[in-house]
Amino acid sequence: MGSLFRSEEVCLAQLFLQSASAYSCISELGERGLLEFRDLNPKVSPFQRRFVGEVRRCEEMEKTFTFLQQELRAAGRMPGPCPESPRAPVAREALRVQEQSEQLAQELREVTRSRASLRGRLRDVRQYLHVLREGQRFTSLPAPPGSPPRPRALSEREPILDPSLHQHLERKINFVAGVIHPWRVTAFERLLWRACRGYLVASFVEMPEPMEDPATGESITWVIFLISYWGEQIGQKIRKISDCFHCQVYLYPESETSRTDTITRLHGQIQELSVTLEETEKYLAEVLDKVAQALPTWRVQVQKMKAIYLVLNQCSFDVTQKCLIAEVWCPVQDLTQVQDALRQASYQSGSSVECFVQRVPTLESPPTLIRTNKFTAGFQSIVDAYGVASYQEVNPAPYAIITFPFIFAIMFGDVGHGLLMFLFALWMVLYEDSPRLRQGTNEIWLTFFEGRYLILLMGAFSIYTGFIYNECFSKATAIFPSAWSVATMANHSSWSSEYLASHPSLTLDPNVTGVFRGPYPFGIDPIWSLATNHLNFLNSFKMKMSVVLGIVHMGFGVVLGVFNHVHFKQHHRLVLEFLPEIIFLLALFGYLVFLIFYKWIKFSAADSLVAPSILIHFIDMFLFTSNAENLPLYPGQVPVQMVLVLLALASVPVLLLGTPLYQWCRRRLTAGAVPVQSLAMGEQEPLLEGQEAGNSVNATKEDVESGGHSPDAKHLDFAEIFMHQAIHTIEYCLGCVSNTASYLRLWALSLAHAQLSEVLWTMVMRNGFVGLSYVGGVVLVPVFAAFAVLTVAILLVMEGLSAFLHALRLHWVEFQNKFYVGAGYKLCPFAFAPDTWE
Amino acid sequence: MGGDGGASAARSGRGLAAWRGSGRGAVRCGAAMTAHSFALPLVLFSAFWGLVGIAAPWFVPKGPNRGVIITMLVTTAVCCYLFWLIAILAQANPLFGPQLKNETIWYVRFLWE
Repeated sequence: MGSLFRSEEVCLAQLFLQSASAYSCISELGERGLLEFRDLNPKVSPFQRRFVGEVRRCEEMEKTFTFLQQELRAAGRMPGPCPESPRAPVAREALRVQEQSEQLAQELREVTRSRASLRGRLRDVRQYLHVLREGQRFTSLPAPPGSPPRPRALSEREPILDPSLHQHLERKINFVAGVIHPWRVTAFERLLWRACRGYLVASFVEMPEPMEDPATGESITWVIFLISYWGEQIGQKIRKISDCFHCQVYLYPESETSRTDTITRLHGQIQELSVTLEETEKYLAEVLDKVAQALPTWRVQVQKMKAIYLVLNQCSFDVTQKCLIAEVWCPVQDLTQVQDALRQASYQSGSSVECFVQRVPTLESPPTLIRTNKFTAGFQSIVDAYGVASYQEVNPAPYAIITFPFIFAIMFGDVGHGLLMFLFALWMVLYEDSPRLRQGTNEIWLTFFEGRYLILLMGAFSIYTGFIYNECFSKATAIFPSAWSVATMANHSSWSSEYLASHPSLTLDPNVTGVFRGPYPFGIDPIWSLATNHLNFLNSFKMKMSVVLGIVHMGFGVVLGVFNHVHFKQHHRLVLEFLPEIIFLLALFGYLVFLIFYKWIKFSAADSLVAPSILIHFIDMFLFTSNAENLPLYPGQVPVQMVLVLLALASVPVLLLGTPLYQWCRRRLTAGAVPVQSLAMGEQEPLLEGQEAGNSVNATKEDVESGGHSPDAKHLDFAEIFMHQAIHTIEYCLGCVSNTASYLRLWALSLAHAQLSEVLWTMVMRNGFVGLSYVGGVVLVPVFAAFAVLTVAILLVMEGLSAFLHALRLHWVEFQNKFYVGAGYKLCPFAFAPDTWE
Repeated sequence: MGGDGGASAARSGRGLAAWRGSGRGAVRCGAAMTAHSFALPLVLFSAFWGLVGIAAPWFVPKGPNRGVIITMLVTTAVCCYLFWLIAILAQANPLFGPQLKNETIWYVRFLWE
């Protein structure tokens, strides 16, 4: 089983890297993802580290890439993912990438700027053209015959005086033409009239096509105005007012010919500008193409480079400044692979001296590494969510693969619901490689998808427990014929039809021969689902079942502790901790399990009136009293129980004092050897700095160290050991009682689930069967829809999550606190994970 | 409860037809109701789960997952067998019988037997 049973052996190692090939060595190691690097310069700030210049360069390049990506996005293109994963670039390549990216960014900036200015000019020219064209309507001579009729303007005043008439007047008519925002037209008009008192004639007409507003970018239908006025001062006033209103004013030529000239000139300009703009757009597209092609690779390369330099920053230089030393946590079985990688990288970078790795001894607790595949990863993650296993302690995950879905299924037992859950998980598992499922962004979906194997097993076990509970969407199935014979009872008690009519409910008596014909071979008898007192029977059955399964589960947890004691060579704990614990558990609660089974086997309907109550016996056992009305289950019960209670009580002080006394005695015996040992340890201190591992709430230093190698490595306080052991004893003994009761939630939740599904059936689905005609068939469709939706929402999702949570709690607390410490930290190897780029 | 009785009676009618062909055990009162033995299911299921939990682990092919698969087989066998055993033992010697409504009695009497 190797890795899943307990975590792998991890050792501390030192890498000796030559400066020239350090970069390629780290790159090779990163590609393989084997080692976790430790920071050898923790007191150095990030700005003073060795390779800070390179890191800064990478960050600048990343800034350029961000700009390029923004430009791509603005143009509506999405940069695709990198097809294959390129390796980190060497210095020359990196320089080239930097130059190219900056050059492209520069080009992009220039091109976008020129495009913006071209567009602005084009817009101006077109506006001027429109102004002139519309202005023609008011100021030109009547249209020559054959020209197309002009459309009538929207807001037309009386036609302005024809300038050809102006020679008849003393004053000269001038024009102001321009473009104004449509919302400001009325205000403009009013102000003009008030300011100039009728010495002008203004006309407004909408532009035939909408144009972009340079400020906001919206497309607006501008309004062209043409104001004819006489008098210089009026002209100035008008210009000031139009400035105020942010109008674009154009020069309006006075004579007809100059106007037509201007129009033709403007046409020419528009032509030129359009051509230039097209060329610019084409060039921009080319630049964007180049960017889109190169950007993904560059991003990956630069990200890898930055990661490598960050790791190199953690290494320290040796005295001769030629060699980099890195401290790593390395799984022992990967050491040869690491050596291989170093050799390859040295060869590639062309250095003559090889880099090598050397294992160093350490007193620190190494990180935990448990290798999982796609199936076991889900189960390992729910164990890790509570606490990562301490180094090389027994891992509860391989057992949780089955016990967790099983305990879930006890609370969820229903064939129909289990089948739905199983099919849902099966779909996810069969299509797990499809990119559509894998790349979902919804977090809730991803949570379900990650746990697909878990849900698959939960569904499968729920089908099994559903068959045992004999529940399929709350209905019982009679696969085998029922064990209870109603006819025999009816014949025996002469239940005639009149007798039945007068008695609304009657009980079958198992004392009558032939009524009960042997236990139903697989599961609960289907007659109980028809009985009105079915809860009486089921509650008793489920409570006893919960207690039995709970005690078995906890006993298994205590037994797993044996593997820990043996592995860490703490054999004294076998006798001083495991033995009292198991005696306590079995003497009291193992005996309870025995009583339950004994009563099931020995007592039947014949003595149902005097059947003893296990609960009263159990309580009396603790209180050393007896109840006259409660008959003993077997002869000699009282002395047996007394012995068991005394045995259990005797094991408590052994558990409380055994280990501390043993350690104290050992310390006394090895007191002479202590000074020699501390000298040897003092040498190693500067090289290996202590690291505070993340402790869980329940663990103390004693646990962390006993999870390691020798417990007398540091100077331990006897009071602390004793206190810790006292807490452990109280926790264990009280915990046995309370945890056994806690397993009753198996009963409670399965009862809740059964009742909910029964309510759903009787209140919702059964109403669809009222009509037996065709109309009834049509009514059944929406009723079934409601039933299906409520089943999925309430029974599958809500009850499923609830049972999942309670199963999780039972594992984390009741099972794991019998043997699990969970004070470790995970090995996070340095690797270029594909998740880091989006 | 009438509809309930009717639905389950229809199902058990099918069940009735299914095992009518199996003719094992004693036949009494004209209706083919058989007594359930306790020993037969015990032996069968113990053998089955024993096969799964004790015999099958020897046949798991060697590979990196051998340990995990063996653990899974043994745990499954223990859990499922224990659960079934509790269910059958709890019903082996019932201290009281089911209390049925008169409609149920009427239907079951004439449809199940």
